[in-house]
Amino acid sequence: MFYRVSGQFKTSYESDMALFPVKQDAILLAFILALFYVAFPMMASEFTYKALLVPVLIYALAAMGLNILTGYAGQLSLGTAGFMGVGAYACYKITSIFPEVNIVVALLLSGCFSAAVGVAFGLPSLRIKGFYLAIATLAAQFFLVWLFEKWAWLYNFNASGAIEVKGHEFFGLVITGPNAAPITQYYFVLVCVTVVSFAMINITRGRFGRVWKAVRDMDIAAELVGINLMRAKLSAFAVSSYVVGIAGALLVFFWKGAAEPNLFDIPLSFKVLFIAIIGGLGSIIGNFLGALLIVALPVLLNLLPGVLGLEINSATLEHINVMIVGALIVFFLIVEPHGLARLWALIREKLIIWPFPH
Amino acid sequence: MAIKGMNCLAAGVVALGLGITAVQADELYTPNMTYRTGPFAATGIPIMNGQRDYIEMLNARDGGIGGIKINFDECETSYNTNKGMECYEKTKGNAIVTQPWSTGITLQVLPRTNVDRVPILATGYGFSPMSDGDTFAWAFNPPVSYWDGASMILQYISDGDLDNLKGKKIALLHLDHPFGKEPIPLIEKLADKHGFEFLPIPVGLKEMQNQSAQWLQIRRERPDFVIMWGWGAMNAGALTEAVKTRYPMDKLVGVWWSGSDDDLRPLGGKAKGYKSISWNAPGKYSVIEDIRSHVVAKGNSMIGSEDDLNKVFYQRGVVMSMFMAEAIRTAQQKFKIAKITPEQMRWGIENLKLDGKRLEELGMLGMVAPFSMSCDNHTGHGGAWMLEWNGEQFAKVSDLLMPDRSEIEPIEKEKAKEYAKNNAPWPGRDGLACE
Repeated sequence: MFYRVSGQFKTSYESDMALFPVKQDAILLAFILALFYVAFPMMASEFTYKALLVPVLIYALAAMGLNILTGYAGQLSLGTAGFMGVGAYACYKITSIFPEVNIVVALLLSGCFSAAVGVAFGLPSLRIKGFYLAIATLAAQFFLVWLFEKWAWLYNFNASGAIEVKGHEFFGLVITGPNAAPITQYYFVLVCVTVVSFAMINITRGRFGRVWKAVRDMDIAAELVGINLMRAKLSAFAVSSYVVGIAGALLVFFWKGAAEPNLFDIPLSFKVLFIAIIGGLGSIIGNFLGALLIVALPVLLNLLPGVLGLEINSATLEHINVMIVGALIVFFLIVEPHGLARLWALIREKLIIWPFPH
Repeated sequence: MAIKGMNCLAAGVVALGLGITAVQADELYTPNMTYRTGPFAATGIPIMNGQRDYIEMLNARDGGIGGIKINFDECETSYNTNKGMECYEKTKGNAIVTQPWSTGITLQVLPRTNVDRVPILATGYGFSPMSDGDTFAWAFNPPVSYWDGASMILQYISDGDLDNLKGKKIALLHLDHPFGKEPIPLIEKLADKHGFEFLPIPVGLKEMQNQSAQWLQIRRERPDFVIMWGWGAMNAGALTEAVKTRYPMDKLVGVWWSGSDDDLRPLGGKAKGYKSISWNAPGKYSVIEDIRSHVVAKGNSMIGSEDDLNKVFYQRGVVMSMFMAEAIRTAQQKFKIAKITPEQMRWGIENLKLDGKRLEELGMLGMVAPFSMSCDNHTGHGGAWMLEWNGEQFAKVSDLLMPDRSEIEPIEKEKAKEYAKNNAPWPGRDGLACE
């Protein structure tokens, strides 16, 4: 009923290959975008921006980067947090060496640094696969965090070893530092995430995406049909690390305002990997669903007793929270091992044929 | 499943407008960012119990402070900076003071508090240059800063004259985290000046419980003293390793966060001689008896056993809450109003004066050194004592030690300026009057 496709005829190849072959998809997306661009900012408090909306967007972006590599190109990576750190530290150094550079330029450039580092650590993927590659990227993770701690030039020889973000302006609006209004930071992050998501949707639908999928599904077969494996794998590492690096820079500049090296330690890598896996490997929408479950749900659960007027000790609440989120992760993975994105795809298929399933 | 999704969405929309803790009109909201879970819980819990029980005692015995009840809500962070930020954002709307409870979280919320105009009370932790009230108008770290602590420890081990350390080797076994790195700039400077060798040995967050590599290095380097800047599971790890490698315990001195009875009890007599500096002296005080009768006896405390009341860390929590309560009282007296605002609370902390007479009235004479704060002194620099583990408990083994402020102040000013530059545009005192 809601998703009736009858009457929507595709009369050309262009319409068959369109971003939204079904009209309702476009409507749904427009609704979600309206929700994020108009409805949420009208209702949100400062807390909502800082603890819910901005973190969800940034984690979703990081997971999207990882998904390019792991979900589309099939190269397992445990170094995501390290690459996020490269983006963040690069952006920090660029803005402190060239203070007059526009923050958008700095963001785009910092992605290049993490892409370069990603490609360097992606080189072993030409020889090793699967778990062995995961170990190689794990080495990247440990090495990079060690570098962030030991190379004092990276944090401008700050005594505490942390990087701190100055106030930057973007066409007259303060967008970083403590004086930035949370709503401006939110819109900035939202626009970045929208643009990158749109680019990633199209890259994964295009030639690169198909090459990556071919490599993922069977690399020997892909090589036999003439795909250059080196180029395919390294391009996946580059694109993935680029997105991940931008997410890392956004994380520090638009959310936290200060960061210490151990922020980019292995727990962050796992968190991003979980978002990608639970959201659904090989999908773009899944990253957002996964981020909602892993990042937003615990925050909402923490608020619940207050809303209901229950008095629960905050430590007990934390324990309950961990249990509920853990149980939900297990539940969703049992219901649909391919992640939330697949769950949504099934719902959509059912809606299309509803109420006459064959 | 679709219905479930809708529910989730609805809950999300409801929560969007909320996120601020409900507070009744007739109470003062002073949230505490605790960590009763996670790898730092073991050292956090006793202190947080002490903090909570002192306020509960004031609420039960005096009906709060100045006739108004204190809502000492806890927000769990697990020592995680993300959750700390979340707690800060959640509580700042109604809070008259924020207690971030970790140097990492303090560094994150510090710039925000200038904008939100909420004072930070970081008792005995945080960031040493916060002492410079001209730069950090909203941040306070009484009664002593980490640099004060490092200076006092060096004085103690050198018998009062740092030149005695000439040619000696001093290792700093520290947590590789902003907290653990705090004393390094000061010790480096003093090492240059007094000609001793300084050897920092970092312990990563992941290797807290297995420090064999670090202790191997200590055995190889044979430092004359090891100063420990540890917290959470790192303390127990280091002490166990020190006992195992038979490191002479009287050459091992910890900062005040490395002196928890709970870490030393399992080692008992083997750790005899271990020292830890402390700005609260453990003992029998009438305030503890009041807590026993008004809070513990009524089953309103979270402590495991009554024995906890005698522990150094529990009593330190009591002292921490006392600072806050006295600051509230100071502000109430000045502004002649019970329900003070965050801005008035800031004035109260800045003008906090604790003398022997007041401490005696509180039943805490000798528990903490008297000190007073002012506009350009946001720490108080009250001094501390050296405690020694005698196999069963900590006992005071020194007179009151005082930091060498002439060495510390110049770097405080320098680092405060550097911080303001790194976080430009930094508002500084921002026109706040100094009285």
